Amino acid sequence: MTTVTTIGILVLVGLIAIFAIGLSVYFVFKNYKAKGILEKRERDISRRMYELAILKELGDRIGYSLDVQQIIDIIINSLHQFIDYSAVSYMLLGPEKLIFKMHLERSVHQRFVIDIKDRMLNSLSALLDREFNKKNVKEIISGAIIIEELYEPVRSFFNIPLVIDEKVVGVLTVADTKIGLYKEEEMTILYKIIQQASKAVTSLQGVVKTEQAKVNAMVESMADGVVMTDIDYRIMVINPSARAIIGLPKKENVTIFDFIDNLEGKFDIRGKLEESVKLNKPFKSEEVLIRDKFYKIFVFPVKTNVIRGIDEKDAVGGVVIFHDVTAEKSIEQIREQFTSMIVHELRTPLSGINKISELLRGGPEKIKKEDFDEYIRLINVDSNGMLELVNDILDIAKLEAGKFDVKKEPVDIKKVIDNRAEFFKPSALDAKLAIRVAYDTELPTLVPIDQAGIKQVLNNLISNALKFTKANGSVEILIVRHKKGIKINDEFARLPTKTALSLPEDKFVNMPESVVVAISDTGAGIDAGEIKELFNKFKQLNTKSETGIKGTGLGLAIVKGIVEGHGGSVGVVSEIGIGSVFFFVLPLN
Amino acid sequence: MKKILIIDDDITFLKALSAKLELLTYQVITALDGEEGLIKTISEKPDLILLDIKMPKLDGISFLKKLRMNENIPKIPVIITSNLSTIDKISEGVSLGIKGYILKSNETLDTITKEVQTILNT
Repeated sequence: MTTVTTIGILVLVGLIAIFAIGLSVYFVFKNYKAKGILEKRERDISRRMYELAILKELGDRIGYSLDVQQIIDIIINSLHQFIDYSAVSYMLLGPEKLIFKMHLERSVHQRFVIDIKDRMLNSLSALLDREFNKKNVKEIISGAIIIEELYEPVRSFFNIPLVIDEKVVGVLTVADTKIGLYKEEEMTILYKIIQQASKAVTSLQGVVKTEQAKVNAMVESMADGVVMTDIDYRIMVINPSARAIIGLPKKENVTIFDFIDNLEGKFDIRGKLEESVKLNKPFKSEEVLIRDKFYKIFVFPVKTNVIRGIDEKDAVGGVVIFHDVTAEKSIEQIREQFTSMIVHELRTPLSGINKISELLRGGPEKIKKEDFDEYIRLINVDSNGMLELVNDILDIAKLEAGKFDVKKEPVDIKKVIDNRAEFFKPSALDAKLAIRVAYDTELPTLVPIDQAGIKQVLNNLISNALKFTKANGSVEILIVRHKKGIKINDEFARLPTKTALSLPEDKFVNMPESVVVAISDTGAGIDAGEIKELFNKFKQLNTKSETGIKGTGLGLAIVKGIVEGHGGSVGVVSEIGIGSVFFFVLPLN
Repeated sequence: MKKILIIDDDITFLKALSAKLELLTYQVITALDGEEGLIKTISEKPDLILLDIKMPKLDGISFLKKLRMNENIPKIPVIITSNLSTIDKISEGVSLGIKGYILKSNETLDTITKEVQTILNT
C-alpha cells in the first residue's frame, strides 16, 4: 500500500514537474517570440526613422539643388545607419567623364574596388545600351583605407539604377565581403529612398524647365539685345536681337570676340563686364551708334546664392542689355530741327525789318523815293509773314494744350467760303491763278461750325494751294453734302467742276451725313512718301514752292487740329505733276 | 572797285545790305538761290561771297561743296550770313574753308560791312 501510494505520489509529482517544465518552456518560448516581434518592430521603426531622417536631411541640406551627385552623397553618407556594407558606391554620367565614387566603411583589397567598378560599368552599359571606356572615369575613393594583404572578394552586392525624369543617370551599388547579406527588405528601402529623391529632383527639374522655357521665350522675344556671360566671358545666353545688333543673325556659336570685333571699339564689352562684376556695380552707357542704330547699353553683374548658401553670393558672370533708342533719338532730332526752323523763320523777317530800319535811320532825305517805297513794302511783307507765323505757333500751342475751343453755331457755310475766295482773289491774280468755288445744290443752308476756326482752315488750305501751283493753273473750292452709303465721287460729280484727282471711296463708305469741302489744285503734287507725315506738326517738307515762298509746315497741323475739334477728319490725295486735293469733313449731327 | 556777290533768298536782307554796301562804293551782285549764285560766281568772278544757308534749289552748304569741287573757279573768300545758329552747320561751313559766320539777327548792317571790309583789305 505504501509503495503504491509512493508511486502514485511520484507520478503526480512527475506530472506536476512535466507540466511545470512545459509551462516554463511555453513561457520561455512565448517570451522569445514576443521579443522577436519587438525587435522587428524596433527595426521597422528605426528604418522608418531613417527614411524620414534621410528625406528631411535631403530637404534641409539640398534645398532646391538639382545636383544629382550632391543628393546621392547625402544619401550614402547616412546609409550605414541602416544597411551593413563594406562599401557603397555610385557611378554617374558626367558632362565629359563618368564619375565613380566609392565610400569604404571597412578596409578592402584593391581588387574589391576594381571588381565593383567593373560590375557598375557593366550594369550602366546594360541599362543604357552603350559601351563606356574604362579609362574615361573620374575616380574618388573615401572612407577606410585599402589594404593589400586583406583579400576578400565581393560576396554580397546589389545595384539600384538612378533615374531622373525617366532617364538613367547612373547606378548606386552596395557591396560587402560577407556572404548572403542583402535581402529584399534592405533593397526595397534603399530603392524607395532613391525613388523619393529622384521624384523630387524630377519634379523640381520640371518646374525649372517650365520656368526656363518661360524665361527663354521672354528673352528670345525681347526687342532689346540680351547677352549673358559667365566669369570667363563665355556666352551662356544670347537672344536673336543681340545677334542682329552685331550683324550675325544666323551665327550659332557667338563668342565674346564676335562682339569685340563687331562693336568696332565703340563699346568695350569685355572691360565693362569685368568692371561691373569686380565692383559689383551696374553700368549704363551713353548713346552708342552701332550699325546705323543708337543704343544705350546696360551691364549688370550676375550673382547667385545657390552655390554657397543664403548669405554668401558668388559672381557667376554678367548680363549686357542693348536698348535701342533710335526712335527716341530721332524724335529728339525732329524736335531740335523744328525748334531751329522756328527760330530761323522768326529771325529772318525780324532781322530784315531791323536792317531796313537801320537804313531809314540814316535819314530819309538820302534815300531815293523808289527805294523808300520798296523798303516800306518789304517791312510790310516781313511783318505780315512774321505775324502769320506767330499766330500759327500760338495756335499749335493752344491745340497742344487742348485749349482750342471750338464753338459750333449754325452758320451759312457758303458765305464763309465765298468770303475766303474773295479774300484770296488778289493774290491768285498776282500769281496768275484762277480761283473758283462750286456748291452742291443739296447743301444745307446752315452748318454747325466754329466760323473763325473754319476760316482759318480755309486760309491755310487755300494759301497752300496758291503757293504750290504754277502760273496759269487753277485752284477749285468744292463743297458737297455727303450721305452715308453714297459714293463720294458720285456726289462730287454733281458739281460743274471736277477735283484734280478722285477721292478715296473707302474713307467715306461708312461716314454719317456730313459736309465735305475739297480744295483741289493743279500744283506740283506731293510725293507718296511724304503724304503720311504731312499733318505732323514737326514735319516740314523739303519741297520748295514754285514761288520760292517757304512754309513752316505748321498750317496743316492746325487744319487737322481744328477740323478734329469739330468731330471731323482731314485727308489728301496727290500725284506728282497732276496736283493735290485736300479735303475736310464736317459732320452734320 | 571790289565786287561782292550776295546769295540769299531773304529779299529784305538782300535789298538792305546791297544799299549799304553800294553806299560804300562796292559793286554788288545778287542771287536768290544757290544755283543762280553758282552761275554768277563763274560769270562775275566776285572778290567776296556772302552766302545764306537755307535757300531753295541749292542750299548754302551744297553751294560751297560745288564751289570747292570746281577747280576752274579761283579761291574766293566766303562769309556765311544766315539766321541758323545750329552748331553743325557752322562747323560744316568751317570745314569747307569759310572766312566767317555771321548770324544775321545778331549783327547790324554796320557790323556786317566792317567784317566785309576787313576781309577785303587783307
